[in-house]
Amino acid sequence: MACLQPAEELEIFRRPLHSDANERVSGKGRTSQLAHSGDEELVALAQQGDRRAFEELIERHKQKAYHIAFGFARDREEAKDLSQEAFLKAFSYLKNFDGRSSFYTWFYRIVVNVCLDYKRRAKRTSAGEFDENIESEMEPSHTPSRPLAPEQHVLAGQLSRKVDAALQKLPAKQRTAFILKNNQGLSIREIADMMETAEGTVKVHLHRAVTALRLSLAELA
Amino acid sequence: MAEQNRTIPCAELEADLVLLHYGDLDDGPRAELRSHSANCAGCSAYLTELATLLPLAVASDAPAQEFWMDYNRELRHKIDAAVESKSWWQRFTAMFRPGYLPAFATAAVVVLALTITFGNGLWSGKHGVNEDELSEALPVAENLEFFRAMDVLDDLDLLEVIGGGAKDAA
Repeated sequence: MACLQPAEELEIFRRPLHSDANERVSGKGRTSQLAHSGDEELVALAQQGDRRAFEELIERHKQKAYHIAFGFARDREEAKDLSQEAFLKAFSYLKNFDGRSSFYTWFYRIVVNVCLDYKRRAKRTSAGEFDENIESEMEPSHTPSRPLAPEQHVLAGQLSRKVDAALQKLPAKQRTAFILKNNQGLSIREIADMMETAEGTVKVHLHRAVTALRLSLAELA
Repeated sequence: MAEQNRTIPCAELEADLVLLHYGDLDDGPRAELRSHSANCAGCSAYLTELATLLPLAVASDAPAQEFWMDYNRELRHKIDAAVESKSWWQRFTAMFRPGYLPAFATAAVVVLALTITFGNGLWSGKHGVNEDELSEALPVAENLEFFRAMDVLDDLDLLEVIGGGAKDAA
């Protein structure tokens, strides 16, 4: 795929949405056309400056990106910020995407890295500052789709914190493998591609993560 | 193996049981493990435990439609801002791309040559002497001339003294 110089890349993204090729197919027709294009085709268009193509990529991947981020952050606002940051990074580095892996793998690798960076930053910031009493007063930040009874709400909050604490204790690779498998249901192969490691290694990370969480969560079962 | 503790699975199969729980085993190993688990209390209990515990660790969130509308709007603004903030910087750095360096060097040499050729007095404004300063300095300069003349007189006196001494000696 053609690599663009920084200034060229900039210029193309500064063009109005309906310029050049976009003008030929307008409005709904164009949207429908993009909706039927494959990721790689959209990436190629976005690399040529088609902002609509990038927006279609966002539309396709935002929910999954958000849910992965939510798995790491367990907070709605933070998950939103993290997944948006991943899209911004993808936008900035799209010119470097060479198609060796699929866009899906490349992009979710960015999401995971953004989330791990966030966790590292959060760990540094909060080290020694986090008060157990404050933690016990915190409510789970996400709103469940169905309203919970007060006691269920408390239990859900406790469980969420317990799981979060247990996940925090896991090494980053184990946590990543577990979240991608348990929350997202990705295959071992997909996780290996995203983590740029061997499938066997992912299986080991996953097994260790499950063993550690099993010990931490056993009392809640 | 069947005589093992009910809550402890067969150690060598534990990792595969995790994969079986997640449905990530190929057909052959899956059938084999299922058949084993049916006869092994420890492995069977382990699978049940996984099925109870692991869903608890799923962080689920289902934001409403408005959330996604805000999400899109916010992200679009962030991308716009990123493009804007990058643009001036990239335009600036683009000027220093290797391809433009010879042009810059040529332009610099031409400007330097023109300055040397036609630039006489170009900077005189900066170094020019103020009228007032000049009027103050001139009398001092005149006085200097006077004192230099006096020095000559001193020298004449000296010559006379030397000359007188020589006459006396004669």
